Amino acid sequence: MKTTILVLLIASILLVSHIPPGVCRPMGTNTFNRHGYKIQDDHVLVKSGDNGMSYLMGEKLLRYLERNPRFHKNLSQLLPDDVQFVKVLSTKGLAHPANNIQVVDGGEPSREVRLEDFSELSKRAEDPPISIDLTFHLLRNMIEIARIESQKEQAELNRKYLDEVGK
Amino acid sequence: MSVAFRVQIYFFLICLSALKGQSRYLEDNDITQDGMFSILNSEIKRGLSEGLLYRRPLRCIDMLTMEGQFTFTADHPQLHCAVFFIGEPQEIISIEYSSVNIDCNGGDFIKVFDGWIMKGETFPSSLDHPLPIYDRYIDYCETGRLRQAVRSSQNVAMLFFRIHTPGSGFTVTIKKISNPFPCNVISQTPEGSFTMIIPHQHRNCSFSIIYPVEIKISELTLGHFNDLQVKKPVTGCGRAGDFVELLGGSGVDPSKMFPVADLCYSFNGLAEMKIGCDNTVVRMVSSGRFVNRVVFEYRLLERPELEKQKGNSVEDFCYTTD
Repeated sequence: MKTTILVLLIASILLVSHIPPGVCRPMGTNTFNRHGYKIQDDHVLVKSGDNGMSYLMGEKLLRYLERNPRFHKNLSQLLPDDVQFVKVLSTKGLAHPANNIQVVDGGEPSREVRLEDFSELSKRAEDPPISIDLTFHLLRNMIEIARIESQKEQAELNRKYLDEVGK
Repeated sequence: MSVAFRVQIYFFLICLSALKGQSRYLEDNDITQDGMFSILNSEIKRGLSEGLLYRRPLRCIDMLTMEGQFTFTADHPQLHCAVFFIGEPQEIISIEYSSVNIDCNGGDFIKVFDGWIMKGETFPSSLDHPLPIYDRYIDYCETGRLRQAVRSSQNVAMLFFRIHTPGSGFTVTIKKISNPFPCNVISQTPEGSFTMIIPHQHRNCSFSIIYPVEIKISELTLGHFNDLQVKKPVTGCGRAGDFVELLGGSGVDPSKMFPVADLCYSFNGLAEMKIGCDNTVVRMVSSGRFVNRVVFEYRLLERPELEKQKGNSVEDFCYTTD
């Protein structure tokens, strides 16, 4: 008798709880694999050699930022032609000066790398949000270099996995 | 009826009821790629993963796309450092501190920013992110010691730090967490494809490509599919209702970019657009009443394509053509 009731209870619960198929399933991310992510790093990979390239890039960038002798934080010391007033993302709409470092590198056209004032955060409402100025060109290069590094590391990992599994 | 026969009848009844709930379809979300075979591989994976954490030094200005452990040690005072994190579109970033040796009272800081901020412009924009800009900075000196790990809301994040004393430094461990419905993505590559889905959420999502690209939208679904596959038309655009817009600009903030096109109605077919801007964004505005979906591909616009059309370009606006 008890088993009968138990079974009927289970059956009724299962019948009542209708699990609908998912309507919100995203399409599989591998649907478009035939078009694929075209990896643009083939020529870059050939040129780069080992990962000295990524360090070179980082070191070059740091040297650009540090080389300029007019690297001030004080408003009064900024040369008038270099002063660029950047609007700040605050409700008060204060304008703060930004450092403008003109960089000329060999045959390449001059690139501007500007760093906003990294002021103290004692009064948040008046201070600009901490930010960095990079051109899109630099940003794209950094992403490409990071992806190459990631692919090399993944290849290394795959090799280790296969060695482990193959034992 | 004998007991054995009754047991068989009951078993049959239970089986029938279970199958009625359509649970006979094993649902695989593709979120964990291991699927059902993870149990078999777990031993191997556990043994390997401990020894295979990627480690390297962190630079003052750096870009990270991988998981791993990154250590920064200042050999001279570093006052303006920024590290960018970017993952795949369906990943979010988790940052955990360890071995932090900085002088918070002496002006050192380490802050994680939820998104990217460049030249004062943020991605996602302040319209698309739930928090105001100052709340998107999480300062280690204020809260880091209490927190386990900081998670971003999208596939990008940043770290800002300043260290005065040589020899001080810190270590961060980066992990990627899967995000089944990505909203607000920056693409790592100038070419690829993406499906953006906003399932019954009142939010706006942007997909940003920091290259001049040609976008091909192959499917746009704005509205609700009922069982008869009839699409309810959405009441026009004009910044109301659910729609998709294409934006072009030279900053990272989608709210400061120029709208190039609005797509207000569902369609199934190819719509192409070339946007010759440094940053191209596909943005979907969703009211939350429907399940909205857009499927698109993008490819880099090569220099000859950009230069050919420059003669017709409008002043102060990136070149666009249909």
